[in-house]
Amino acid sequence: MFSNNRTGWLLLSPTILILILVGLVPFFYVLYVGFFKWNPLAVDPSMQFEGFGYNYRQLIFDEVFLSSIWRSIRFAVVTLFFELSLGFLLALSLLSSFPLKSFFRGVHTLPLVIAPIVVGSIFKLFTVQGLGPLPHFLKDFFGYTLNYGLNADQAFWMIVIMDIWHWTPFVTLTLLAGLSALPQDPYESAKIDGANNFQIFIYITIPMMVPVLIVVIFIRLMDSLKIVDEVWMLTGGGPGYATRFTGIHIWKEVFEKRFYGFGSAMSILYLYITIVICWLLYSVMVSRGKSEN
Amino acid sequence: MKKLFIAIVASIFSFSAMAGGHAEWWKKAGAPYAGTVLQGVAENTPPGQFAGEVLAKQFEELTGIKVQLENTSWDSMYDKAIKDMEANSGIYDFVYIEQDIVYDYLNRDFLVNITEGLANNPDLQAPGVSLDDFTTFIDYFKDGSGDVFGVPMEAFIKVYLYRKDLFEAADAKAAFRAQYGYGLSPATSFDQYRDNAEFFTHYCADNGMECWGTTVQGHTGHPASTYEFLESIGPSFGLYNWGVNMDTYQSCVENGGQLNGGRAKAALNFWTQLLPFAPPEALQSTWSEVGASFAAGRAAQGWVYGENAAWIATDAEKSAVVGNVGVMLPPTAPGVMTQAAAGNGYIGYFDGGAYGIPHSSKNIEATMLWLQFIAQNEVQADWAIAGGRITHKATYADPKVMAVDEQADGYFTLMRDTGFLYAGAPPFPFHGAGRAAIDPFIYKALAGEMTPEAALDGACEALDKVMGDLGYQG
Amino acid sequence: MKIRKIISKISTTILWSILTLITLFPIYWMVLVSTRTPVELFGKPNLSPTFFQKIHWKNFTKPFIDGIYSDYLLNSIIVATSNAALVTVLALMATYALSRFKLPGSESIFFWTMTNRMAPPAAFMLPLFLLFSTVFKFGDFALFDTKIGLILLYCVFNLPFAIWLLKGIIDGIPKELDEAMIVDGASLFTVFWKLIIPLAAPGIAVTSLLSFLFAWNEYLLASTLTSVYARTIPTGLSEFVTTTGTNWGTMAAVALVSMIPALIFLFLVQRYIVAGLTFGAVKG
Repeated sequence: MFSNNRTGWLLLSPTILILILVGLVPFFYVLYVGFFKWNPLAVDPSMQFEGFGYNYRQLIFDEVFLSSIWRSIRFAVVTLFFELSLGFLLALSLLSSFPLKSFFRGVHTLPLVIAPIVVGSIFKLFTVQGLGPLPHFLKDFFGYTLNYGLNADQAFWMIVIMDIWHWTPFVTLTLLAGLSALPQDPYESAKIDGANNFQIFIYITIPMMVPVLIVVIFIRLMDSLKIVDEVWMLTGGGPGYATRFTGIHIWKEVFEKRFYGFGSAMSILYLYITIVICWLLYSVMVSRGKSEN
Repeated sequence: MKKLFIAIVASIFSFSAMAGGHAEWWKKAGAPYAGTVLQGVAENTPPGQFAGEVLAKQFEELTGIKVQLENTSWDSMYDKAIKDMEANSGIYDFVYIEQDIVYDYLNRDFLVNITEGLANNPDLQAPGVSLDDFTTFIDYFKDGSGDVFGVPMEAFIKVYLYRKDLFEAADAKAAFRAQYGYGLSPATSFDQYRDNAEFFTHYCADNGMECWGTTVQGHTGHPASTYEFLESIGPSFGLYNWGVNMDTYQSCVENGGQLNGGRAKAALNFWTQLLPFAPPEALQSTWSEVGASFAAGRAAQGWVYGENAAWIATDAEKSAVVGNVGVMLPPTAPGVMTQAAAGNGYIGYFDGGAYGIPHSSKNIEATMLWLQFIAQNEVQADWAIAGGRITHKATYADPKVMAVDEQADGYFTLMRDTGFLYAGAPPFPFHGAGRAAIDPFIYKALAGEMTPEAALDGACEALDKVMGDLGYQG
Repeated sequence: MKIRKIISKISTTILWSILTLITLFPIYWMVLVSTRTPVELFGKPNLSPTFFQKIHWKNFTKPFIDGIYSDYLLNSIIVATSNAALVTVLALMATYALSRFKLPGSESIFFWTMTNRMAPPAAFMLPLFLLFSTVFKFGDFALFDTKIGLILLYCVFNLPFAIWLLKGIIDGIPKELDEAMIVDGASLFTVFWKLIIPLAAPGIAVTSLLSFLFAWNEYLLASTLTSVYARTIPTGLSEFVTTTGTNWGTMAAVALVSMIPALIFLFLVQRYIVAGLTFGAVKG
């Protein structure tokens, strides 16, 4: 029966249909618009074709756009580092037993169900000058002034902290899922060979966890490279350009300036960069999967 | 409480509309469209809520036409209205037109000509409603030939608010005179403004109060800061129309503009130098937070949007300074007031919005009825009290409005008498794009990443580039 | 050895206690804000649990009883649950097809579907708006401002993820089992019902949870593609940021209420999470 591909395609068809209609069609539209000079508020509000490379040529020299990409990548890498290290540590600790474990784990998963826009609101409430307790107590107890409307580094790190707060639980749970599913034999033989815990971790746990780690990196990269909602709520991309990640920058080009053509080209280029990064990871994932089979 | 208040107002109003004697006309005029649902999109403001909750219900009772108003955030409102009109999708029957965006819309011919529409359809012309009853604010929604494209539903001026209790405190007066050599009073000049700001910052600190000398609407990631600079601080220094040369659409001094000229630089220097005297949230403050900071008693004086003046002065649930709010015209540079009085300049921002009908609406006639319904003189007074806005000449004299005026230290009177000194945004069809080009430089000047001079040099270059890209420079 | 164990237990507990505090503190503050009037929020932040003495209920009643936030909440529940159900069903079918049949090009189909989730949303709002308001239009019915529109749209983001999650799990169910059933004359439906669904339960639970959460939390697209009738809770939150002051108390109240259904869903599938979140990376 599995040789009859018609049943297979039939089962797959609703998925493909939806993905084409609501996913692929908009994509091609954005691709198409990206080749035009188009701002509906210009003297000539129509779409003007000025050569395929018109918008892309400008993009390559657009410092603000390019720096926003570096900022996004830096943000993704930094948050990834912290979330992975912390998440791994927590996942490992969850393998052992300690008092109140299920309570702690339950609380830990809480941020997972909070919408990004709500997370932005929570952090704004918590950290904004004049209302939030955090700047107040930092000032009173440590003499430290937290004002991310003024200080670019604070703004960047505030967003990093917010992201860690929001997404570490996902990393912890996924890694925990991976750890729990690891086969036990290698551990037993290592113990018989007299390896210590540290050696076991480095030589057995880490290598076996690589596929899971790649999956987590893949998912977190994909989402953090296009972060918008929380940042929009907290800093609006400021001060200056300090937290203007590419998602925010595109938003400003398309919605505030209404450069539809230019903004579309930007999206395509950025999507391309994201795809390249993710494709590299994906290839590693697939090739590992193949070699294991 | 407020809900109850609105309900009471609503019931009073329903009688007053009937008492107007035109109830029969509205019933008859609405009959052909009964059951129609009109959908609108607007920024979420108290006047908008009043229109959507109170007036819409009354209108539905009379005519059977239902009005669904989507009150949403400011950025999202723009985005949706523009997309709807561009795509001709006909989702909205009426859209909020903020005064500054009206030129973008007129330029693209998005809106229905209301004057013409009513002239061609005498049956739709409601008795007792005249577009002449409006204040001069309606002029912003007219085209070259004087036809109206939007029915004003709110109008405000950005005023100078100060804390009467602080300015009248005896110890403050004495200390100020000792330190500065002249008497303490609300500011009429920039030097005095700065002295006041500096003085109260120290005065508050010395007395253990959580307050500062001035508000600054200085969000470093939101256009609110650019607006405060271009619409309030700049004009009061004599920088008009964003410093753009209206003939050539150039803004740099080298090309005949003013945006990086002496007045602009003086204005930005003055404004950024206020930051040490502003509450620490100033750099994260949009218009919302400025209103809230003042209401919390965290500032002694400041430029505050008129939308906020009334509730800060009167609503004890939201404001800690009820009864202590003074209202005045903001300080101006020498000569600016004369220019404004002569009609050659302006001292600040005349803000507000109107409802207009997109061409794509499928219910233009029913919407005409709705827009006339909210243009009736009879509904204006309650609306003014609920939302702190006035669009009709006659509303100022209403006893209920005058009572609120007294509590709000004469805000409405000030608007009636000095409104002509203010102006709306310059007639730029590229408003959003132009402003967004300036934004980052204002943010950087506020955050201290650039000097005011360098920021304005950069801003005018960026603005010139956008105006060029969009094809406005000829 | 025993002492070391105790020390490690204590240090783990301390670590988790600190972590729990960090997690809960901002949320606790939000609860406080939601129970206070604007004037009570002025001045030094007061961290004492004042809600034991007094709750400013208006922050809750105004949006949910007087206002239309109960509609938004209902919309969100309908959109998120329908989306989760639809995604789970479609993904099960699709994954089964990808797992059991040798379909040419299926690997690139998979990666291609993932790219939908990578796209920065801002530029895609325009085409989606056009599609929803003018292209997918049948008479007077357009997808714009309908719950169906949102449900379909979120499939685009959730399906790839769901397929990915389920693939590893369904691959892990031996092919011989279904073949045996089919030889015995069972229909494909019976195979799903009796075999695949029970064995893939953890994966299904996690798939539906993640799909639910995505639909529950999504803001940008929902705010563009809805107007009055299909607005969801996250889009409603932005309405509190107004010219006349951000209404923090009400906003916190709505944010708080909006967490509850998602929490209930999380609670229901909690015990499946660890077994289901493997993304096929570990062949267990």
